[in-house]
Amino acid sequence: MAGEQQEQRDAITQVVVFQLGSELYGADISMVPSVTPLQRVTRVPRTPRYIEGVTNLRGRVIPVVDLRRRLNLPVTPPTKATRIAVAELDGGQVGMIVDSVQEVLRIPSTSIEAPSPMLSKVEHEYVQGVAKVDGKLIILLDLARVLAREERKVV
Amino acid sequence: MGFDFDMSAEDIKVFLDEAEEQLQTMEAGILKLEKAGEDPEYLNDIFRAAHTLKGSSATLGHKKMAEVTHSMENILDKLRKGKLTITRDVVDTLFACLDVLQAFKEEIASGQESAVTTDAIMARLSAIDSGKSAGLEGAAAALPATNVGDGAVPAGMPELSAEDLERLRSARVRGLAPVWVLMSIQKDAQMPAVRSFQMLLALGDIGEVVRSWPSQQDVEEDKIGEDLKVLLLTAQGLPKVRSVVESIPDLKLVQLTALAEVAQSQAQPQAQALAAAPAAAPFVTEAAAASMTADPAAPTAALAQDKGAAGTGGKSASRTVRVDVEVLDNLMSLVGELVIDRTRLLQVLTRMESEREGDELTQVMSGALTHIGRMTSDLQDEIQRARMLPVDNLFRKFPRMVRDIANKAGKEIEFVVLGEETELDRSVIEEIGDPLMHLLRNSVDHGVEPPMERLRVGKPSKGVVTLEAYHEENHIIISVRDDGRGIDPIKVRASAVRKGILSEEAARRMPDPEIINMVWAPGFSTAEKISDISGRGVGLDVVHKNIEKLNGSVEIRTEVGKGTEFRIKLPLTLAIIRSLQVQVLDTTYCIPLSSVVETDRIPTNEIKTVRQMEVIVKRGEVIPLVRLVEAFQLERPQDYVDPEEIFVVIVAVLNKQIGIVVDNLIGEGDVVIKPLGKFIGDIPGISGATILGDGDVAIILDISSLINTVRLEQNRLEPIRV
Repeated sequence: MAGEQQEQRDAITQVVVFQLGSELYGADISMVPSVTPLQRVTRVPRTPRYIEGVTNLRGRVIPVVDLRRRLNLPVTPPTKATRIAVAELDGGQVGMIVDSVQEVLRIPSTSIEAPSPMLSKVEHEYVQGVAKVDGKLIILLDLARVLAREERKVV
Repeated sequence: MGFDFDMSAEDIKVFLDEAEEQLQTMEAGILKLEKAGEDPEYLNDIFRAAHTLKGSSATLGHKKMAEVTHSMENILDKLRKGKLTITRDVVDTLFACLDVLQAFKEEIASGQESAVTTDAIMARLSAIDSGKSAGLEGAAAALPATNVGDGAVPAGMPELSAEDLERLRSARVRGLAPVWVLMSIQKDAQMPAVRSFQMLLALGDIGEVVRSWPSQQDVEEDKIGEDLKVLLLTAQGLPKVRSVVESIPDLKLVQLTALAEVAQSQAQPQAQALAAAPAAAPFVTEAAAASMTADPAAPTAALAQDKGAAGTGGKSASRTVRVDVEVLDNLMSLVGELVIDRTRLLQVLTRMESEREGDELTQVMSGALTHIGRMTSDLQDEIQRARMLPVDNLFRKFPRMVRDIANKAGKEIEFVVLGEETELDRSVIEEIGDPLMHLLRNSVDHGVEPPMERLRVGKPSKGVVTLEAYHEENHIIISVRDDGRGIDPIKVRASAVRKGILSEEAARRMPDPEIINMVWAPGFSTAEKISDISGRGVGLDVVHKNIEKLNGSVEIRTEVGKGTEFRIKLPLTLAIIRSLQVQVLDTTYCIPLSSVVETDRIPTNEIKTVRQMEVIVKRGEVIPLVRLVEAFQLERPQDYVDPEEIFVVIVAVLNKQIGIVVDNLIGEGDVVIKPLGKFIGDIPGISGATILGDGDVAIILDISSLINTVRLEQNRLEPIRV
């Protein structure tokens, strides 16, 4: 029936899945409109360590965050698969360096669970939920929180 | 009624664009004429513009426009040949012509015939042409004409005695030239005799009053008529005389003429003697030239001048084309779409990469997309650059406006415009026009005091209103300032309470700097009388809103009795600055060229240490060094070896020189400043970033804040005496 179909469609979220270390992370596709290969990033002095710098995204200067540093995960050198996932936030676009971008998944909301400290090394407050798809665990990040502008002291 | 021109829409558009340019040229020229007198260069500019407009409007078939420009041309030609002299009336009439032409231009643009007729303006023009000054109110209109043509003495000038003539002759030798001044006394003047007396004294200050009608004695005895005529000997130019005359109220300048002919026709001095007159009296030679128009040599000279002017005109037909703003806007949105398509392709690439594990096709696609990305951003930059205009395009319309307001309000204003070359995005220029107009009106109307009041408080009778644009750190500042009475917090407080904007209690508690900002409140106005210029309580709040719309801010700096400055701060998002590019580690930094004094290579062993600070000595001056690596706490690779020479960029901040030590100098270039964005926020020492030709991002330094932070961190040493 049409009504049921509608309900089902509503219950599905499209998630961009990317990898950091051995874990899979995801974010709503509407928050991550584009992905670009790792390109040259210019360091900006006097910024926190997790801000990798700024880069030229299609003629715009956007900040780039090292997501591993941001999430307090061990830092590794970039590889061929390293990507910049571009998040669209209220304050503008912010690039996130991730190990690789896997795919875009359609996840029914029924397979999303509330965050649990057992499932992820990442701090609780940054996690929106955990999705189980085909036996894989995908940690859904709350990008608005991960990339929140906090009161930062000038270093 | 509609128009039917025998021309295509495109041709009409071209005509309108050109007409606008010619009107602007004429306006600028007339303003200059008013200041400088009969300068042949300005006259030629105006003449050429009028002539071109005459031709093109005739081609178009707009008879009235051709008619007006034709008559203007006649007047301008007579001015050029010295058969007419610049008077206030001539200037006013020429301006009035521009207004009429503007109206015609608009009727052509809209295709609708307007109610504007040429009768009034043609009457004024022919009155001037035939030597009768028209357009002056009341008695003045009936007064004698402006006419120095054909060596005649001005009509209405009484016979001079032999003694007077002798005095004129001998004055030549002393570098003084005779000037004929005719002023009408306003009918409603309170103290006509006192004003006349003041005038004689004032004129006496800049020269010698040979004779006046009525005489000084009559004036003192209150025996005056409707006008005051003065024969003056002076070494000052006509504009000076005019400004003196205009500084005295109740007397209106009707005629101001440099007299070469009186002395010549009646006393026969040699032309050489005239030519040899000292440069201190520039108009003497002009007047002499004027008196020689009968000379057959004169037309040749005029012809040569024309040729010269035509020559420069040809050269200045520069390598530019006219582009409709709409075209630029379209280009901009097309680039936007290109960017979106590229994003789509990038998504395809991402999928290809994950599905095909980076095979050859994926690599080719990746390379091409990277290239397309670079090209699109270059394209975007170039179009953005094409949208930049010098603020001159906007500023140029203000002198006329200020002049008109000043005349209406009875103020004497010297209007100074600075920084016209500063570039702003076209859209900003369009939006900032109205706010600036309001602020200028405000300065002329409320800021600058009437001449008498200024004299009473010991200021020159002429007020100075300045409009200036410049870059400051990562902003553009447009400043409107005057040396007038300033904004009095007491008056503002009273007015805010009276208008119900603040309660008495709130007004009392509010500190002065905050009270001043109440002038931005809707419905606020301190003007004691309502004029048609300003004072209706609209304006300033609109100004504030418009500036905020542009993400700008406006600040008032005022001091009672000294003047007021409105500082508009506009974001530099689109602004381009010229910069010196330097390298530190692997990053390119841009230093605004405006703060760079020089660059130098200094052997490391010439660096000295004074109070724990590294300094170099140049031309006997001690210059402290700031190492960018240290200021920004950048990490050198472990194996880094200090070089034997350092590169130093010497910058000047608040008159102090400081040497910034960098790894390498790259070169100069224009950069488009882009903000670092909210996420990164404000960083002391950095004003933004820019994208370089190779697509890399460079950091733009904000020198003054960089120096400040370094100083603070310098262990708070005692101030270093440099």
